[in-house]
Amino acid sequence: MAASTEPKEGPNAAFLIVKPMATAARQFVKSLVRPSTIVYPFERLEDPSFREEVKVESGHPIGVGPIWDNYRGVHALNIATCISCNLCAFSCPDLCIEMVTVPGGDPKHPKKCPQIDYGKCSYCGFCSDACPEGCLSMTTRYELSTPNRSEMIYSPQKLHEVFERKLPMNPIRLERPENEDAIRLDAPLCIGCNACSRDCPTSCITMVDTPKPTAKPGEKLPRRIWKEPVINDSDCVRCGTCISVCPKECLFWGTHP
Amino acid sequence: MWINMGPQHPMTHGLWNLRVKIEGEIVKEIDPEMGFLHRGIEKISEDRHYNEVITLMDRTCYVAGIAWEHLYIQAAEQALHVTPPARALWIRVLCEEMQRIASHVMWYAAFVQDLGLMSPFLYGMRDRDLLLDHFQSFTGGRLTYEYMRVGGVRNDLPPGTTDRMRKTLDWLMDRFVEYDRLCMGSEIFRKRCDDLGVLKANDCIAYGVTGPMLRSAGVRRDLRKDRPYAIYDQVDFDMAIADSADVTGRYLVRMEEMRQSVRILRQVVDWLDKHPGPVMAPNLPRWLGAPYAPVGREGYLLKRNYPKGVGLSAIEEPHGEANAYVVNEGGEHPYRVKFRSPVYVNLSAAHKYLVGYHVADIPPIMGSVDVCVGEVDR
Amino acid sequence: MTVQSLYGVAALVAGGIAYLLPFLPPWLVTIIADVVFGAILLAASMINTIVLIWYERKLLGRFMDRRGAMHVGYAGLLQNFADGLKLFRKNTYKPREADSLGFYGGPTAYMVSSLVIFGILPISTGWDNGSLPLSLLLALVIFSFAPLFIFLSAWSSNNKYSLMGGMRSAAQMIAYEVPILIAVVAVVVLSGSFDLTTIVSEQRNYWFALPLFLALIVFVAGMLAEMERIPFDLPEAEAELVEGWNTEYGGMLFAFFMLADYLRALIGSILIVLLFLGGWTLPSYVPAALTSFPLAGIFWFMVKTYLVFGVFVWVRASLPRVRTDQLLRVGWMRMVPLALVSVLIAAAVVAAHCLPVLGCVPGLGS
Repeated sequence: MAASTEPKEGPNAAFLIVKPMATAARQFVKSLVRPSTIVYPFERLEDPSFREEVKVESGHPIGVGPIWDNYRGVHALNIATCISCNLCAFSCPDLCIEMVTVPGGDPKHPKKCPQIDYGKCSYCGFCSDACPEGCLSMTTRYELSTPNRSEMIYSPQKLHEVFERKLPMNPIRLERPENEDAIRLDAPLCIGCNACSRDCPTSCITMVDTPKPTAKPGEKLPRRIWKEPVINDSDCVRCGTCISVCPKECLFWGTHP
Repeated sequence: MWINMGPQHPMTHGLWNLRVKIEGEIVKEIDPEMGFLHRGIEKISEDRHYNEVITLMDRTCYVAGIAWEHLYIQAAEQALHVTPPARALWIRVLCEEMQRIASHVMWYAAFVQDLGLMSPFLYGMRDRDLLLDHFQSFTGGRLTYEYMRVGGVRNDLPPGTTDRMRKTLDWLMDRFVEYDRLCMGSEIFRKRCDDLGVLKANDCIAYGVTGPMLRSAGVRRDLRKDRPYAIYDQVDFDMAIADSADVTGRYLVRMEEMRQSVRILRQVVDWLDKHPGPVMAPNLPRWLGAPYAPVGREGYLLKRNYPKGVGLSAIEEPHGEANAYVVNEGGEHPYRVKFRSPVYVNLSAAHKYLVGYHVADIPPIMGSVDVCVGEVDR
Repeated sequence: MTVQSLYGVAALVAGGIAYLLPFLPPWLVTIIADVVFGAILLAASMINTIVLIWYERKLLGRFMDRRGAMHVGYAGLLQNFADGLKLFRKNTYKPREADSLGFYGGPTAYMVSSLVIFGILPISTGWDNGSLPLSLLLALVIFSFAPLFIFLSAWSSNNKYSLMGGMRSAAQMIAYEVPILIAVVAVVVLSGSFDLTTIVSEQRNYWFALPLFLALIVFVAGMLAEMERIPFDLPEAEAELVEGWNTEYGGMLFAFFMLADYLRALIGSILIVLLFLGGWTLPSYVPAALTSFPLAGIFWFMVKTYLVFGVFVWVRASLPRVRTDQLLRVGWMRMVPLALVSVLIAAAVVAAHCLPVLGCVPGLGS
């Protein structure tokens, strides 16, 4: 069942070098018309002239057309829709995303948006996959060269400028699974401290009153505020902020209700 | 006279050092020295989530990134007791075979460049770029793909991929003929490569040499046939075997493997056309199913009940047989990750196939080994 | 007065100077004419060399499915000047243990010895820079100085790669001198002269490439080895010997080597055109209109030279490098016998002229 690996093109003993020279000459004639290269700073693969054509048949493998948009390049950030959920920074394997304060939030809860250090970024795309609002996504921009290193750090405003250029963005987005895990409450542990509701980026947690039980004789009621978080599951983006801020570890990942 | 070939030398495709003792033009003794590119990938993996290790896999072997993703993912899935859906398996094989062609074309370009023949280098890079365009169309990356996930692949193929792929495959088959004309058709090439760097079958087996080097010595060993993983038992292809055990034999084996890969790819795109479906396993635990794992203090509690496991996978990577070993001790990171690099083993037999030849023969012989230093040093 | 020759131009300039400065003694005017002549030759050869590099880059680009230099000047014509400027500005660095005389003298002598040959080669009928009776022999003798200088600079670089490259270079050039000289003997037998001008004028009826095709092959192969171009560029095989004998050179010294290499490539092409392809003449049966326009001789000469060099580029784009032992084996065991056979063929053609039957074959009578 082994494939034959006998040479398909043996050298012709009489004309030692004719075959390779003929092959090179054929390529020469072909590339006289149009070489396969593009003149990079003047022509670009993402140019409209290259986008529509699959040039395989013509012998010029330039580009594969409109699917170029999938390219994972510099991020674009829409500050307006960013909810400061921190998921991008959580998901970054290289720890190159830092959440920095941007103007616009209220003084008590400053709005924080990702700042990306492209000196560290590996362009894995995990952050844009993790972004629940689709405000951080990767564009086709790939030119980053700069003479000094500090310019490799893109502030949220700079990322927003990239967004405003309306570059093509990666159209393939991950869908959330239907039976995704949800935040569950271990009610007896809760002290009603409001930390989760305060820090929830989507404001999907509301504190509702729980009836204060009447203490039986001899029983001491726990010292707590008689409120309990209720999570609006359809608004929840599963960022886990509530879990990490909960002082009593009473919130946890559980199965979908 | 000892001369250093590397770590900064045109012969070394990467960062390693070959010290050669020569008398006149004849090689008397060699001393390969590796480790210049060690990045501690296995150790770093112990500090990453299971899906984040994939970003390292692309950088382990920079010419066959997705094959290494496949290798790691298989072991990780085994360790985590996850079964991917069928379509994901076929897409993975599609990726691996595309990567095999891309890697072999890259090898061809570099190898022929070592012989002083310049134009095939450009031809090879041009044709490889076509495959990279395809990779980019569905993974988003041209060299570092970050495409596979535990439980499947990130996304499905965009519409029209299979049609474009068929065109590309036809075009590539014509190019392989051209490659052969430039090399096998050339008397000078045959004079340079015949009976060069001979490593006989028993030496190959003794040193653990695998991949095209082993098959060029006439040993019938190909993991895709011998221990079919993914869906290789469902596709029809032949093993490429040569018996000359020299540089020409390795050239012929790789060329034939590219043709066989095209054959596999044709079957794979046909299958993918007929069987739409999910590409990600359902009901994954949250810390696995998403590409991110925002685990608070809660995460440990959640995973404490998750079954432990050990994953061991072996695939036929473009350079040879690669193994991965992943231990899941219950944490959110793998407890231990270990790889076997085929090139490292193939290089360690270097004194068998280098000593006694000319200095001028070192570049073609080392070229025929297809050295990828990233995977040697890891 | 019409200027018939290049030296005429130089003499005209010198005459003009003598007219303006009438007190100059006649011997000084002669020297001025010589210097002007040399300067024109130098400029012509250097410009041609640089254009030759551009030509190779463009041709090689198309062979490799790319474009070659294209941004500086029209179609990248000025790219090499830019590169030269860059090399000129670079610091010249000498290894500490290197021998100064050899390290600096080698490239200079290599360059100068290549330039001198241009004073001997006739380019067209007007380019009569002294019709030497033994100009062919002189050109080949100076051409074969090169291994000495290469080896000198390689050895004095104090570098193992350089030394190996120099050894290979010396071995290969000496091995290929022999078939080249024997092939030239065939040409000399056929033309009956060592004078290049006479050799060209002897080809007015048929080019020597036709009867001496074997000698042409030997000469081309030998020239490839002498110029150290692929497939015979083992002395600078970059795969194993980094850059061979010019590994340690940078900046202007490297530019000297580079220029001298292309000068020698130009000289090799010119010699092939002169010896085998009829020089500046076209066969007598082509229409007169093709040869009667002004500077037609130089035009056809340059066209032929560049076409011959194009063949070298073509070979470079399609063949791998051979190994040292294979190169030497081919040189001694194939090229020398072939060259000897071609001498026999030349002798037979000459003898055929003496036969009354063949003497009347058109094209063979001289």
